[in-house]
Amino acid sequence: MMTKARTWFSALSTVSLLTIGVAFPVHQAQADQPGPVEAIEFDPAKAALGKRLFFDPRLSGDTELSCASCHQPENGFTDGQALSDAYAGNLHFRNVPTLINSAKRAAWFHDGRIGTNLNDVTRESITETYSMNMDMRLMQERIKQDPAYVEMFEAAGFGEPSNGGVRNAIPEYLKTLISRGAPFDTGEMSDEAKAGYELFNASGCNSCHSGERFTDDLPHNIGVGDNPDIWATPERHITFVTMMKFLGVENYMNLRADPGAYIRTHTADTFGTFMTPTLRELTYTAPYMHNGTLATLEDVVAFYNAGGGDDENKDTRIKSLNLNETEQAQLVAFLKALSGEPLTGPEFVAEDIDTDYAPIENWQDATN
Amino acid sequence: MKDLKSYLSGTIATAALFAVLGSQAIAETSMEIEAGIGGSDPDPDAPLVALGEPPIPLDNPQTEAKIELGKMLFFDPRLGGNESTPCSACHMPDVGWDVEAPISFGYPGTTHWRNSQTIVNSAYYGKLFWAGSSKSLESQAKSAAGGAVAGNGEADMMEARLAFVPEYVERFNDVFGDQWPRISNAWRAIAAFERTIVQTDTPFDNYLRGDDAALTEAQKRGLELFAGKAQCSECHNGALLSDEKYYNTGVPAYEGWQDDGLAQVTFRYELYAKGSTEEMYRHTKDDPGFYFRTKEKADKGKFRTPSLRYTLYTEPYMHNGMLETLEDVVEFYNQGGGENEFAENKSPLIQPLGLNDQEKADLVAFLKSLSGEEILIEEPELPDYQPLPAVAAEE
Repeated sequence: MMTKARTWFSALSTVSLLTIGVAFPVHQAQADQPGPVEAIEFDPAKAALGKRLFFDPRLSGDTELSCASCHQPENGFTDGQALSDAYAGNLHFRNVPTLINSAKRAAWFHDGRIGTNLNDVTRESITETYSMNMDMRLMQERIKQDPAYVEMFEAAGFGEPSNGGVRNAIPEYLKTLISRGAPFDTGEMSDEAKAGYELFNASGCNSCHSGERFTDDLPHNIGVGDNPDIWATPERHITFVTMMKFLGVENYMNLRADPGAYIRTHTADTFGTFMTPTLRELTYTAPYMHNGTLATLEDVVAFYNAGGGDDENKDTRIKSLNLNETEQAQLVAFLKALSGEPLTGPEFVAEDIDTDYAPIENWQDATN
Repeated sequence: MKDLKSYLSGTIATAALFAVLGSQAIAETSMEIEAGIGGSDPDPDAPLVALGEPPIPLDNPQTEAKIELGKMLFFDPRLGGNESTPCSACHMPDVGWDVEAPISFGYPGTTHWRNSQTIVNSAYYGKLFWAGSSKSLESQAKSAAGGAVAGNGEADMMEARLAFVPEYVERFNDVFGDQWPRISNAWRAIAAFERTIVQTDTPFDNYLRGDDAALTEAQKRGLELFAGKAQCSECHNGALLSDEKYYNTGVPAYEGWQDDGLAQVTFRYELYAKGSTEEMYRHTKDDPGFYFRTKEKADKGKFRTPSLRYTLYTEPYMHNGMLETLEDVVEFYNQGGGENEFAENKSPLIQPLGLNDQEKADLVAFLKSLSGEEILIEEPELPDYQPLPAVAAEE
């Protein structure tokens, strides 16, 4: 199984992405035998288009941000900050989640507020005022102005450049962002990491961090502490108020805590629950937790060893683990063994994009 | 043609006569000059009169505090998307409260597709924007702050930003009774401020109020042409010098659409966003204007008659800025207007005028009498964000 994956990935690098799509069947993750992350079949032409769009700042209102501004390949498709930036004029109040393996999620964003598909996630991220603040009708006309896109949309079978095509192409690219080459999957874990894996299961980490991506795709409350930077920085707090107002959260002006997945249910016992994050690619994605309050994996393990934080909605499974320092180090070693090759090669990163708009020749007679 | 002089000497108007602008519009006496003299248009034309106080909507009365707040908000970039496009970005006081380029800047990363209109005397319009798509200054401010190629702001975000400026919280509470600033009240305050940016003492107004020396002899000759031979007042009439109706005068398409890729992007966006049939979206190459409000083919290429007041400072002219000077404008009409792709809708009122050079110069001289001193103001200091006090949680 592990050998097969390695062979496949090396084969992929020698065969043009334009002529071959991955045809591995997707199977259900098995909690008892996680990993490696199965590849997903994708359409190379659509994915190549999605890749270019992902790195194109013309998809944001003022053309300053691309998807890759916050989801940077060299940082595991996060931004390396505790709390994310936001569209100019504001800052965000949450940590950027990785996009690696995101095509396999059951619900997206830390609060899981979108539970349909990446097409909707793409729309949300491009249009929301605190992310890319883009009127997609204008975006459509921008990309239509670029002959490279006209060609790529046609090649992808989308016809002329359109919003719908963008919303399909970017998810196709995200399907290519699949973990690969982690020591856990290749059988190259150190003894320390192997011991950590035993502890991982014995300590009940796998009760939520299950399956090939090490997540149950459900929201839980583990009592992550407050990040006071949110409330001390108006530009962050403003984003919080804006989102909470939009999501229909009561008393949003007086709220000083992130309700998380509460916004999906509006029942009190879900307040402060957040989607279980994947444990894959953690070495690239520090700091951790939905508000970036834990700087290192050591901090994360220590946090759980102490029984998580304080919260009335805290999951009852979160209890002190009584791990000694050696055991904690072993657990960290295991977590690090879940990170694989960086997805920073040309198959994942678009070439420089000329963002100028060449005029359409013979405008008067050209069909718009 | 009737003898203009007999009107000038004979007609003194009173407030009650100025139904066009409502009873608040004129509170003083003014001469009344008949408009559209000798014209072929059977529509009654409102007489030319001095400009009085602007109409104030009953649901948004003026107060000092509201005007002061509106002035701050007019200049505050937090009412926009990326905090670079306050109202004043495209309505700059020192260049006529508009933009000097033919087409307005537009939001960063975009360009607009129409000429920015002056704020001066906007208080008098019943319809705002070139195609009259807003019915009040309040709704105009809201639309401009939100448009993708204008302010690109989002209401929830802009409202949230205001809540983090303690001075605004206090002022909105004082003016509107808001616990937290409401974005709809921001538009009300801005409109109240704009209703103070008016000019009612131009040479022409002073002349109409009895100061015969306020106009030069050339301007008086120009006035006679304006109301008579040149037929300007067929449309440019009433105290505002606009009938607020919609016409296609044959203004040619914005030339930037021929060779400016960014302008082409916005052009197609507008066709798409404002609602076009596919056939129309594919083949239209000029701004359909008023069509977007009626969806009647006969309204393609029509735009609301602009006021001629303050035009000394608002060059270039027309909905797309295609005429650079007032001389160009007069020459344009002297030749019977121009031609655009909606030629079948061109107003029959626009015909060659046969003006000689002296007459054209007189007409330009008169147009200049419709502007007084330049209106300049000191930009307000803007208050900073502050974190929300924790005590708010107890309220």
